[in-house]
Amino acid sequence: MPLTVAIIGNPNTGKSTLFNALTGLQVRVGNFPGVTVEKKIGRIKGTAQPIDLVDLPGTYSLSPRSLDEMVSVNVLLGRQTDVGKVDAVVCILDASNLERNFYLACQVLDLGLPTVIVLNMFDVASTRGVRIDIPALSKKLGVQVVATSAHRKEGLDALKAAIASAVPNGPGTRPHPFPETFYSECHQLASKLAGLCRSDAPSFLVERALLDVGGYLETEWLDDDNAAEQWRTALVEARTRLKDAGCRVPAIEAKARYAWAKQTLAEITTIPSARAETLSDRMDRVLTHRFAGLLIFAVLMVVVFQAIFSWAEPLMGWCEAGQSAASGFVASQLPPGTLRSLLTDGVVAGVGGVLVFLPQIGMLFLFIALLEDCGYLARAAFLMDKVMSKFGLNGKSFVPLMTSHACAIPGIMATRVIEDRRARLATILVAPLMSCSARLPVYTLFISLFVSDSPLLGLRGARQGLTLFAMYALGITAAALVAAVLRKTIFHSETPPFVMELPAYKWPSPWIVFSRVWDRMMAFVTRAGTLIFAAAIVVWAGSFFPGDHSQEFEKQRLIEAAEPIKSDLLLQEARTVEALDKLNQRISHAAWENATERDDILKLTASTQTELAKLKAKLKPFEDASDEVNHMRASLVEQSFLGWLGHLIEPIVKPLGWDWKIGVGTLLSFPARELVVTNLGIIYGLGQDVDESDQQLWSTIREAKWPDGRPVYGVPVALSIMVFFSLCAQCAATLMTIRRETNSWRWPLVTFSYMTSLAYLAALVTYQVAIRI
Amino acid sequence: MENIVPLELMAAGEVGHVVQVDGSPEVVHRLAEMGLREQVRVMMVQPGRPCIVAVGDHRLSLRMDEKAEIFVALTMDA
Repeated sequence: MPLTVAIIGNPNTGKSTLFNALTGLQVRVGNFPGVTVEKKIGRIKGTAQPIDLVDLPGTYSLSPRSLDEMVSVNVLLGRQTDVGKVDAVVCILDASNLERNFYLACQVLDLGLPTVIVLNMFDVASTRGVRIDIPALSKKLGVQVVATSAHRKEGLDALKAAIASAVPNGPGTRPHPFPETFYSECHQLASKLAGLCRSDAPSFLVERALLDVGGYLETEWLDDDNAAEQWRTALVEARTRLKDAGCRVPAIEAKARYAWAKQTLAEITTIPSARAETLSDRMDRVLTHRFAGLLIFAVLMVVVFQAIFSWAEPLMGWCEAGQSAASGFVASQLPPGTLRSLLTDGVVAGVGGVLVFLPQIGMLFLFIALLEDCGYLARAAFLMDKVMSKFGLNGKSFVPLMTSHACAIPGIMATRVIEDRRARLATILVAPLMSCSARLPVYTLFISLFVSDSPLLGLRGARQGLTLFAMYALGITAAALVAAVLRKTIFHSETPPFVMELPAYKWPSPWIVFSRVWDRMMAFVTRAGTLIFAAAIVVWAGSFFPGDHSQEFEKQRLIEAAEPIKSDLLLQEARTVEALDKLNQRISHAAWENATERDDILKLTASTQTELAKLKAKLKPFEDASDEVNHMRASLVEQSFLGWLGHLIEPIVKPLGWDWKIGVGTLLSFPARELVVTNLGIIYGLGQDVDESDQQLWSTIREAKWPDGRPVYGVPVALSIMVFFSLCAQCAATLMTIRRETNSWRWPLVTFSYMTSLAYLAALVTYQVAIRI
Repeated sequence: MENIVPLELMAAGEVGHVVQVDGSPEVVHRLAEMGLREQVRVMMVQPGRPCIVAVGDHRLSLRMDEKAEIFVALTMDA
């Protein structure tokens, strides 16, 4: 049986470095059920008895305000069934800042578990002149105290030995920091609670319930309404009695615990009174400066954005190339049929649809991990807080929202840094409104088709550029407004004061950065990836069934069987064209010696032209066959479930100026908006190998007509399509990521509904206004 | 005589100790957990909204709301 040891500490105490140094890469990452907290369990390397280390989120206290924070408490009390009983706890403290860190240590020791106290970053503390009498401290607390410098890998062996011997050593001395009246009130409450069918509650939780005004245990612990009411009354009465006894809750906790800390640390530590200015302070003078700081931040953001936007591009190109190679391989191994269609258009497309996001996710988290680990991310949040707080968000929302312009998926995954749950949810909900790179093909297609490139104020392409800018501005404005509305309605709360620690700068550790990027990528592939894959299969089925594909497959089979003949003919055609070009050149330069040679050349030219015409005639049936297959596919899509839905929604999309084809194209793009160009290609019978600069697609769109002969497309329709795509939640991967990050289906559903309604309304207004001016 | 001011009105470089933290019990509790509590020594590093204060050896970025306020007794000669 492996031992289970939990590891807890204040943020920025080097807990991740220590966890990584102890466990290496043997780590299982998941989510605790029902909450957004990440569960990380690793096996400690090189101990006689196997020990599993459970990483708990960095926290300043064990006082649970929400279900998320309750998880750490439940794990430590052995009430988290998926972790089981915890045998010991390791509490990591920042050796330079012992007094504040001792607040948490005091709560941890109150749990009565075998405990190891780690004084991390001991080297930094020593250089600052902090002296700690470790044996005396250990004696006073009754537990082992180990000094480490995790980033230098110092003290790790001593720590491992201490963890291994923690259980036989038993728990330490309980701090018992409160006055006796407090404990007797707790005792009374515990018996009251036993009467309310909660006889299993450990005394730690009863103490917490009494101390945490408005906390989780006060408001959401008991499901039974009647019992909950009685429980709250009992708590209020107990608190009133304590207040009368001069022991006001919750102020008593800080008072008692800090007094305990002070008393424990007296005569054991010496702290230099004068604090010298550190390098961190000097860096902060520039990096958090009102102007210089913002400028540096802006430059950094441009670099990050550019990297995600363009450096990831070649990698994504490889993914796409790999995808078409895989499809090609399947096609070469299987005859046309349902199975091949499922494999190429469903399975391979689904896997490709997951992998294609990985370069962007990896790139973003590489930057975020670097910035976070060196301490800069907190400064960035500080700098942006002024703007973000105007919309009910806080500074930590900025980086996720900025990066959502490349892709909302890493953006949403990056919201984990926002501790305030409501602000985090609001950020997640508006992130998909940012114009991500997948919207660009739609913008490009319709802007180049319908926005004139005639000069504006002497600048060519300025109108097109402005339209593109307007689309980005639309997303940002909508996000700001929606965030403000959300914070006033469903996420309404007193915006708590924004307090954030600015850790001292340090060199990022490559190991931590690597493992963060790795964790994020794996989390995406295993969790969101499976759902995205499933969505791809469902869409494939929706556009494939119930049509009869036998004729299409038969035709496709014939085309493929004749492929060698076709490519041979194409080769001949190319050669003939080349020969003809050379002949024509000689004619235009009159490059001959005499009349006989001239006649020969003219004769040869004529015969080559006839040959080319013959070849073209031979190739015609092949092209016709391809066209025929494309038309069959177009009509099969029209007959499919999704096509049927498209016709069904035609009355709904008509006010936007759309016909059923645009409707189906849009509907088919709900799994992934970048598919719209391909989908239009399929629907217009041009095949699926079209892109946004395809001339054939351009002319088809220009010539598309309503049954009464009016053209379908015009500037108003183009604008309404672009506005719709800019605001709509057409990305199954994003919705699945929201599902994973919030651990609930409610938020992806809310996102989907509000964005789709918003997109519809905005497109409606755009079209109706545009046709009238 | 002690000169007591709200923390947000401290000028850069001014030092003092917290005499009172006002606000809802939860907010006061949270601030105390992060080290911002009565008697603790604070120094204004960068005033503004949010501001940066040094609390002991920590640097905290802070934006108070209308209902919360921290009062500081300035150390005169610092």
